[in-house]
Amino acid sequence: MSQVRSVQEGKRARLLKRLGLSRAVVNVILGVVAVFWLVPTISLLVISLRPESQFGTSGWWSVFTAPSQLTWGNYTTIFSQGFAAGGVLDSLVTSLEITMPVTLLVALISSLAAYSLVFGAWRGRDGIFLVIVGLMVVPLQVALIPVVQFYRELGNIFGLNPYGTIPGVIIFHVAFGLPFGIFLMRNFLTGIPRDLLEAGRIEGAGEWKIFYQIVLPLALPAIASLAIFQFIWVWNDLLVALVFLGGNVHTPLTIFLYDQTRSLAANYWIISTGAVVSIFVPLIVFFSFQRYFVRGVLAGAVK
Amino acid sequence: MSSVTLRELTKQYVGNAARSLDAVSLEVAHGEFMCLVGPSGCGKTTALRMIAGLESVTSGVIEIGDRVVNDLAPRDRDIALVFQSYALYPHMTVFDNMSFGLRLRKVPKDDIKAAVTDAARILDLEEYLDRKPGQLSGGQRQRVALGRAIVRNPAAFLMDEPLSNLDAKLRVQTRAEIARLHQRLGATMIYVTHDQVEAMTMADRIAVLNLGQLEQVGSPRELYDRPANQFVAGFIGSPSMNFVTMHVESRDEGMRLVRVQGDMEVVLENGESAAIRRAGVDSVVLGVRPEHIDHRSREGRGLQFSATVEVIEFLGNDEHVHLSSGGQNLVAIVDARAPLTVGDTLTLSASSAAIHLFHPESGVSLKER
Repeated sequence: MSQVRSVQEGKRARLLKRLGLSRAVVNVILGVVAVFWLVPTISLLVISLRPESQFGTSGWWSVFTAPSQLTWGNYTTIFSQGFAAGGVLDSLVTSLEITMPVTLLVALISSLAAYSLVFGAWRGRDGIFLVIVGLMVVPLQVALIPVVQFYRELGNIFGLNPYGTIPGVIIFHVAFGLPFGIFLMRNFLTGIPRDLLEAGRIEGAGEWKIFYQIVLPLALPAIASLAIFQFIWVWNDLLVALVFLGGNVHTPLTIFLYDQTRSLAANYWIISTGAVVSIFVPLIVFFSFQRYFVRGVLAGAVK
Repeated sequence: MSSVTLRELTKQYVGNAARSLDAVSLEVAHGEFMCLVGPSGCGKTTALRMIAGLESVTSGVIEIGDRVVNDLAPRDRDIALVFQSYALYPHMTVFDNMSFGLRLRKVPKDDIKAAVTDAARILDLEEYLDRKPGQLSGGQRQRVALGRAIVRNPAAFLMDEPLSNLDAKLRVQTRAEIARLHQRLGATMIYVTHDQVEAMTMADRIAVLNLGQLEQVGSPRELYDRPANQFVAGFIGSPSMNFVTMHVESRDEGMRLVRVQGDMEVVLENGESAAIRRAGVDSVVLGVRPEHIDHRSREGRGLQFSATVEVIEFLGNDEHVHLSSGGQNLVAIVDARAPLTVGDTLTLSASSAAIHLFHPESGVSLKER
């Protein structure tokens, strides 16, 4: 391990040398870039921590000269409603109700599909895969109206119309998450040596055991990235939620925030506070999945 | 533990005109160490994978013990396969790798622990049980792969070139280790390799395959002394046997083989003459191993020829001498103390017992066996 690290450090040192930069200069440049990127987020955070009354009178950067203006007031106000419908906490729960099942389903179905596409022994695997890759270019927007009609038709036939319900949104997101998910997982799984599966098969593992005891653990880095992507896409989605859940009692955070901008009286304090709340959850997801990004998971498998 | 029997085993891949394995019949006795050897593409690995159940059978029968296993899933065949690539599960520790099969079979925990500890002791892996494959050297990984097979105590061990990823020194070591393991376990082993030295040193019997067909089965000594045909003769032994096409000449005092260039001449024994007469050929392929050529002068029987030294490869105890005899290249192994220099012209010979004769077209041995 330490050997690997020192090799990497050697490489890095050589690269710096070639660029003619000292480590300190590089760090300063990186720091500036990082701050530049963070300014919008920081300003959002600061605005959410200033009293509503200050919004029209001074810029958020005044906080550097007068830090005493910072207050938790906005947070206590928006949380004071509790889980009442239309409140920020209710929206947060609704967002989670949509995003978590979508993420789980996409990760699970993509992995299973990719397993079959890579290791299955059926004809036409490559053809099907190409079709799936082709589906990635279909813009989600063009499907909105057909899917709404389809949902209504389902309602006419089976008496179960998913339109306007959370499962309806989930189905839509899963359907549109799968092509990329399968693409990502399939490309990752092709790197897993077939010998490993055959070894498992000989030792007595059935297809399902091979999948979850051998393939799945090795695919964790890919699943983690897929889950993070998928979570953030769905978490930040406004369009699909608006089409399928617009006017619902329970709406996700994106719609909650969007509703605040519509009114003439700018509820910037709610928007900024709600936005910070909304950023918080994907951050937790990102940091909790980050540990699965292990390099060299396959080291030692073969040769 | 039990025997493995192949009857007319055939494999033809879809879209392939040639058969990868063509009606191969082979019996591996209980406790026997059988090597399948042959050049790459000869079907040896295909045969092994079919026994393991990883390839379907086009036709023929595979029996393990007294069960026909053609349609059994790999896990129901009670075999263990050691892969060329080792195929260790990288996310599991050595202990988990070795116990995987037992855990799947719901063997009690204590029994698993005992079996793994036992195997680890045999293979000198005790201190590595908590490591992952990525933290092991090539030789250690190889031993883990062996250990994974041992703990399950299968009816037969199948090994697919398990040594080919090791360096030369480790390969010799592990070769001995596998041979010891075989003696200790008394298990039926089928070992695939392209390296005839591995086959010769470890096997009880060797099956030589070429282009999907079984050329000969026999003990290493049998294959070396009495190869059934030119292919086996050339494949077994290193450096490989010299082949020279020679004319048959009948004279009053008996039959001889001649090649004008290089003054090459073989005075045949009566049995050999009779065999050539039966075959009705006017030329034969003469085969003689490099280690059987020397410069003793032999009156009468055997091979005699003159040749020029072209290259000398010094190997310590002996030398490989590359010779040219009237445009025909030959190799001879001679004592390293022999005072030879490049360009020397020598008169060389080989005893009648060391000579092999093959049919010029079919390559079948003409010597009585």
